[in-house]
Amino acid sequence: MATETAPAAPLTPAVFAILLSLAEGEKSGSPPTGPGRWGGKHGYLIMKDARAPQGGGVRLGPGTLYGSLDRMMRDGLVEESGISDDERRRYYRLTHLGHSVLAVELARLDAAVASARSLGFLPHRGRS
Amino acid sequence: MTSAPHSPFRLESLYACALRLYPRAFREAYCVAMRQTFRDAVHDSTLSRRAFIPLVLRDLITSLAKEHLAMLRDTFARPALIFNALVLAGFATILALALYAIPQQLLRRGADDPQVEMADNLTWQLEQGVAPTDAVPAGTVDLAHSLSPFLIAYDDQGNSLASQARLNGQTPTLPQSLLEDVRQRGQDRITWRPGEAIRFAAVIQRVNGAHPGFVLAGRSLREEGARQKAVRQMAAIAWAAMLALILVGSVAFGWYTRPKTA
Repeated sequence: MATETAPAAPLTPAVFAILLSLAEGEKSGSPPTGPGRWGGKHGYLIMKDARAPQGGGVRLGPGTLYGSLDRMMRDGLVEESGISDDERRRYYRLTHLGHSVLAVELARLDAAVASARSLGFLPHRGRS
Repeated sequence: MTSAPHSPFRLESLYACALRLYPRAFREAYCVAMRQTFRDAVHDSTLSRRAFIPLVLRDLITSLAKEHLAMLRDTFARPALIFNALVLAGFATILALALYAIPQQLLRRGADDPQVEMADNLTWQLEQGVAPTDAVPAGTVDLAHSLSPFLIAYDDQGNSLASQARLNGQTPTLPQSLLEDVRQRGQDRITWRPGEAIRFAAVIQRVNGAHPGFVLAGRSLREEGARQKAVRQMAAIAWAAMLALILVGSVAFGWYTRPKTA
């Protein structure tokens, strides 16, 4: 059963990587695309995104991935799109709550990075 | 033709076998998708098999543990189930306390019975003017060792007039507050501890008449204490058995009413 409240931050690396992958897919509109909303991503695409440095560098196996997706669906962060090019694949996309939770987590990380930068733990970047 | 140990088909077969280890609800929901994800990974030329196989092994161990724990939590940590078990455990505890307290009280009160009669008889004799040394039977009861009942006659100030009881060679004295209480109420039934580890069921009664005073009839509670210990052990065994039954029943009920979907 989906809940209306966001899970408390910080998120686990797996949950964060999954949210980021699905958000990236929605923004880029990567296939498959249904007639209405974006059709979502299947498990292996999410695994690949998570493994990439820009996706968090999180090495997910299928068990962790589907276990996390199951809990995220119960928490109302993701949903199955119901659209599939192969009945053996299940496609997932973010819910509104999932978007909100990702935004909160990104803001938290951004604040932490800004703090680390102001303390001199990270080099200052020039404005472009 | 046999497949090589690391051939995609062989790996997928092994993985399909490993998927049987997941809880049924999780397996039914995700087995096909997980197998397809594994197949996609095995056929991905950009993914090194040397890196992927240890990843899958680690993932199997951690996710199996996690999903089984989640299944146990979903099955047994449901608030309704825990609430019912706690309520039943509460009833069992109250019942076990009653099983201990009721016989304990009956045993303790029953331990006063002979002394009530003895105190009544001695009081009647003293009130009829019989001398305390004549009214109190001859003989000595060593309170430290004997189980025999005994009688003591006291004057109105609590000084011993005649006594069968001896503790360390002396007749035990009664506290003044107790005597005042008996003076007002006529009789008191107490657990008397005149010495270390010695307990007596004592009946103290007021003597009226020309020579007012008090009589005490007592009897060791050593045997009664042993019976109380046996009652306590039986109540504890009954309590443990009831809790075990509630635990087994709750586990069985939780299992048969567990959520069927992941």
